[in-house]
Amino acid sequence: MHIPDSFMPLTQGLVYWAIALVFIGLSLRWARKDMSEDRIPIVAVLAAGIFALQSFNLPVSMGTSGHLVGGALAAIVLGSPFAAVFILTLVLIVQGVIFGDGGITTMGANIINMGVIGGFVGFYSFKGLMRATGNMNIACFSAAWLACFIPALAAAVEMFLAGTFPLREGLIAMGVYHALIGIIEGFVTVVAIRLIMTARPDIMKLAVPAGQGVGA
Amino acid sequence: MIEDLFFLEKQAYRDSFLHRLDTRVKILVSFAVIIAIVAVPYSPVVYIAAGILFLFFLALWAISRISPVVYLKRLLAIVPVWGLIILFQIFIKNRYFTEYHVIALLPLGVSIYAESIQFACILGVKFLVSISFIILLSVTTKTQDLLQGASRLGLPAEFALALAMMIRYLFVFGYIYRKVNEALATRCFHPLDWRLPYRYRIRQLGYAIGTLFLRSYEQGERVYTSMCCRGYGKHSHLVFDKRPLSAGEWAFLSVSLSITLGAVIIAFLMA
Repeated sequence: MHIPDSFMPLTQGLVYWAIALVFIGLSLRWARKDMSEDRIPIVAVLAAGIFALQSFNLPVSMGTSGHLVGGALAAIVLGSPFAAVFILTLVLIVQGVIFGDGGITTMGANIINMGVIGGFVGFYSFKGLMRATGNMNIACFSAAWLACFIPALAAAVEMFLAGTFPLREGLIAMGVYHALIGIIEGFVTVVAIRLIMTARPDIMKLAVPAGQGVGA
Repeated sequence: MIEDLFFLEKQAYRDSFLHRLDTRVKILVSFAVIIAIVAVPYSPVVYIAAGILFLFFLALWAISRISPVVYLKRLLAIVPVWGLIILFQIFIKNRYFTEYHVIALLPLGVSIYAESIQFACILGVKFLVSISFIILLSVTTKTQDLLQGASRLGLPAEFALALAMMIRYLFVFGYIYRKVNEALATRCFHPLDWRLPYRYRIRQLGYAIGTLFLRSYEQGERVYTSMCCRGYGKHSHLVFDKRPLSAGEWAFLSVSLSITLGAVIIAFLMA
């Protein structure tokens, strides 16, 4: 899902950067308010873990690359979609600047796709599904699947606007790949959240009212 | 990618003019080249700009005194994924050309167009230049120096702190990932071993992922506690000194930016 440099004209890259900067600013506000001294390790470990999850890449013929996203996991564990924006920004900076995975001029678009769309879709679909079903596994799995699938479609639309891939074929290719990858993402998210809740419930700040999370 | 981190860090500990150069200069030059090559339109003029910038990259690589094998290794790690995606361009019509000429008809109604091949080449050349400068930056700069350089260039303090911790934890994660893998290998476990029951494999994989995360977190928590004991904290970023660039570094930056700008101007003039 990482769009590399040169796959998008500079002007479009700058527009995505401008939009991303608004959300990065809001995520910084979240960090100043909510990222206390004792939460720094969990933020950093989640960033490192998501980095590791995203490192298993597959090329998608009519799009960019296929991989897990991790936006839902970050948002659910830290209880805010802005946490996902913050963490995915960290991950994309390291991937782009050190590993050449995703571009510098296209980083704004990548932050919007994986951090903003992934984080917000993951967080609010988790909250909604928890209210609707009361089942933790279903809510986590579905939220993670959506947070993988929808950003992939957004990336396909951006590539179409950039003129590098046709819309229909791009949507089909990116959609099909990430619909399948989303199943793995859902499984990993459920396992990770279950394990954290069982072994270290103290580090979990669930995004649902008390009584609807662990007890569900 | 985690294994690549150890490889890159090993290269960054070598010694050369480029290794010693202030990180801010390296970041600014790399980003300037990337922005310049991306700014060139999708037309054949890009070959001239890319040629000049790639020669500039080769000169810098020679100065770094790192083996070309390292560059090729990094390129091989990155290019297969993106190379395949660029290759698919030869079957696609896009808005950058008005006329398309079929040069080969394939089964299932798939065609290869002359203009699409040209577009794929343009995309490939732009990508190669961008990625080469990222490789140069990463093999000549330690991750902690990158962080310090970015902080001095104005990276918000919250990001600098979290990035510093993330980079430390990436190495912790890498070591624990190796240990978990070795533990699974010594028990002859492989997630794709079809002789094992499906549910058993899923459960073991789930435990491995969860254990990797929890062990990394607990190790990271211990590391962070010990860092706090030594005076590190949420506001430690304030200790970065504001070192001014030396005259030599200003000169290198000016020459590099001039070459970058010159490459783009020459490309447009020759078009």
